[in-house]
Amino acid sequence: MIKHWWKILSVVIILYTFIAGLLMPLKPGITSISPARAKAGETISMKVAGYNTHFTQAGKEVKAWLTLDSDAKKKMALSAGKIQAISDQELIIDFTLPPALPVKAKVKDCSLLLDNPIDGSSILPSAIFISQDKLVGDTAGWGDLPKKSLHQATGMKFPFRNILSETIRNLFYHVPLWFGMMLIFLVAMIYSVLYLRSSDPLHDNKATSLVVSGTLFGLLGLVTGAIWAKNTWGQYWSWDIKQNMSAIAMLIYLAYFVLRQSFEDRERKARISAVYNIFAFAALIPLLFVIPRLTDSLHPGNGGNPGFGGEDLDNTMRLVFYPAIIGWTLFGFWLAELYYRIANLRDQQEESEYIFDKGIQKI
Amino acid sequence: MNLLREITTLLRKEVLLEYRQKYAISGILLYVLSTVYIVYAASVQIEQKIWYSLFWIIILFASVNAIAKSFMQENSSRQLYYYSLANPIAVILSKIIYNFLLLLFLSVLCYGAFSVVAGNPVRDNFLFFVILLLGSTGFSICFTFISSISSKASNGATLMAVLSFPLIIPILMILIKLSAQSLRLIQDTSYTKDILILIAIDLILLSLSLVLFPYLWRD
Repeated sequence: MIKHWWKILSVVIILYTFIAGLLMPLKPGITSISPARAKAGETISMKVAGYNTHFTQAGKEVKAWLTLDSDAKKKMALSAGKIQAISDQELIIDFTLPPALPVKAKVKDCSLLLDNPIDGSSILPSAIFISQDKLVGDTAGWGDLPKKSLHQATGMKFPFRNILSETIRNLFYHVPLWFGMMLIFLVAMIYSVLYLRSSDPLHDNKATSLVVSGTLFGLLGLVTGAIWAKNTWGQYWSWDIKQNMSAIAMLIYLAYFVLRQSFEDRERKARISAVYNIFAFAALIPLLFVIPRLTDSLHPGNGGNPGFGGEDLDNTMRLVFYPAIIGWTLFGFWLAELYYRIANLRDQQEESEYIFDKGIQKI
Repeated sequence: MNLLREITTLLRKEVLLEYRQKYAISGILLYVLSTVYIVYAASVQIEQKIWYSLFWIIILFASVNAIAKSFMQENSSRQLYYYSLANPIAVILSKIIYNFLLLLFLSVLCYGAFSVVAGNPVRDNFLFFVILLLGSTGFSICFTFISSISSKASNGATLMAVLSFPLIIPILMILIKLSAQSLRLIQDTSYTKDILILIAIDLILLSLSLVLFPYLWRD
């Protein structure tokens, strides 16, 4: 039992990522508003749809502002007129727009900032575009951002991000699967090197089993990525460079199995596939980490996009994300260990059959 | 130096072998010319955008065909004879250098033939020549090594395509991007960085081939 502590740990962590990662609610957020366009000087009544919000419960405490960046550092805000809560998820907010914006631009995007004591504050970036005719840059009617009076959401909740919304939980499955795959392929490559140095068939079995579980992780990573892409980019497969390169990386490792099946002789099969495995790992690095950075990509962390981090990965997310990486990686090694034991048994069986055949021939 | 002498001797042997068995090289030349003609016949008007993609696809298939034979054409007993005489590093290096020269010749020929039938949209000739040079190097390193692996198996020709196409894609992607730059279809000021990445990939694959080839050698 003591020997298998890491297997138990992996199962516990994966159960934890399923329970905490799937059940913990998201923070309140704003999903959409209408209208998305207005002219300076108008009075607009804005319909706001919230997510996980408690507008009726908060009642008169709901406050709203339109905010904009008047220059690189300063933010200005316009507070709302009448606010009417229709349901917990719906608000109607009246804004009386001043005749001029505090910036000298024809059109300026404003963010909507909502605040109440139950939900805390939430923001929808670039919620509405306001146009003006005169470019005077008058600050009349616009005030400072009420930073101090804003509330913080309490409790353990994942951040709400537009477009991502509930799919943010896929971070605990999609990303750790790729992390795990890289680590498993790295160890497989090390065992291939060890095999070439020692010619010990056990090392070959270890390398093969690791490649099997790494490839499985890679395929699962592709599938979880495709599901995520369907919900955020609009299609399962949008021929994004990162998707294409990962698919090709899988082809490289599937070719490994074709290569192994091409040889009858045990020693030859082991040696040549070990050589290929080392070569394949070297080709994998530019495929997954260099090429996607060279061209445009939708994937975070590629083609000039920022990686998934900063505000998206807050401390509550980290609390599940980091254990998930450890848990899935350990799980991958466990899968490889099971396959390794099967491979060893198969070798023993072949050997005993061989001895048996020899015995029959002697008789 | 001993290694250098071995390499030059083996290189001379490769050239001599090619010269005596003229069918192989003339077959590849005909392959390139007929593919270029088929591409032209299939699409009379070739836009600039597909010009460089088609160009690299032709080069890719021609070089797989040209290099696949580099270990398969000699039978195992003759290979055993080389093994007993020469250093394995000299053997693989001489093959890589020979295939590099062959591919460079093929790609220049393909460039010429393609320019005749489909026009020549290349604006930056120097950059395009650098790309051809780097492309031939990368293709020759990767394909020579894979051909040495696949020649050990009975289904060598299939294995050659299955193993080498996914492995060549990083190099091919950078080559295609750089070609678009040399046609001035994209404006990228940092293309020297791409060239450096290509050189780095080539160097990694080359050093791995040199380290790993002695293990393939042994039977």
